[in-house]
Amino acid sequence: MKFLAMCSTGLGSSFMVRMNIEDIVRELQLPDVSVEHCDISSAGPDSADVFFVAKDLEEAAAGLGDVVVLNSIIDKDELREAVKAAAVRHGAL
Amino acid sequence: MLSELLTAEKIRFSSDSLTWRQAVTQVAEPLLAAGDITAGYVDAMIESIAAGGTYIHLGYGIALAHARPEAGAVRTSLSMLRLTEGPAPLLDLPEHAVDLYFCFAAVDATAHTTAMSSLARILSDTETREALRAAGSAAEVTTLIKRFEEDR
Repeated sequence: MKFLAMCSTGLGSSFMVRMNIEDIVRELQLPDVSVEHCDISSAGPDSADVFFVAKDLEEAAAGLGDVVVLNSIIDKDELREAVKAAAVRHGAL
Repeated sequence: MLSELLTAEKIRFSSDSLTWRQAVTQVAEPLLAAGDITAGYVDAMIESIAAGGTYIHLGYGIALAHARPEAGAVRTSLSMLRLTEGPAPLLDLPEHAVDLYFCFAAVDATAHTTAMSSLARILSDTETREALRAAGSAAEVTTLIKRFEEDR
């Protein structure tokens, strides 16, 4: 399963989200989950199983598939719940 | 290491009431003065926010201003500006009330991973984040960062 964190530039916030997702994936011991980050314009529906974006990109990410919209990209508790829920949706937890 | 990038002279405090444009200009100032970024980089950050780039708001009143490396990043660098007398809301939107601005420059997409990961970790740690937001001097900020790094 692949998680993809996205932001407008693919440099700053998406990378931060990716780091935090990686921590959580380790913490939850999710098997076979890869985490990457990129800018939203280079992502397509086939790029990942679950897409993570901040609120401002909600509209731009619509249509990609399973999109998780985060209120704060540095709120680890919010992210942990979102990752858990996504893992459950995709049968990995 | 974050503590090597975010040195005392790159940490500023302002008690002025600023607009977001002034805040971005001020947080970028130490990097501009050190030659870490060009004036074009500052313009690019402001343009990208003006074009709807409130994504730089990380939550908790903290924003990470940055632009593409090719906009004028000379050296990978980081600065910080804390507004002690109230926020400078991005695009004047109350939901983007930011009073802690970071300015980040990366020379390419891979060179900055270490610094970004430690910044992400430090800001995602509730206790350290609160302490950082309450810090009143550059010395306090650098002590916090070093302590966080040592604990890891």
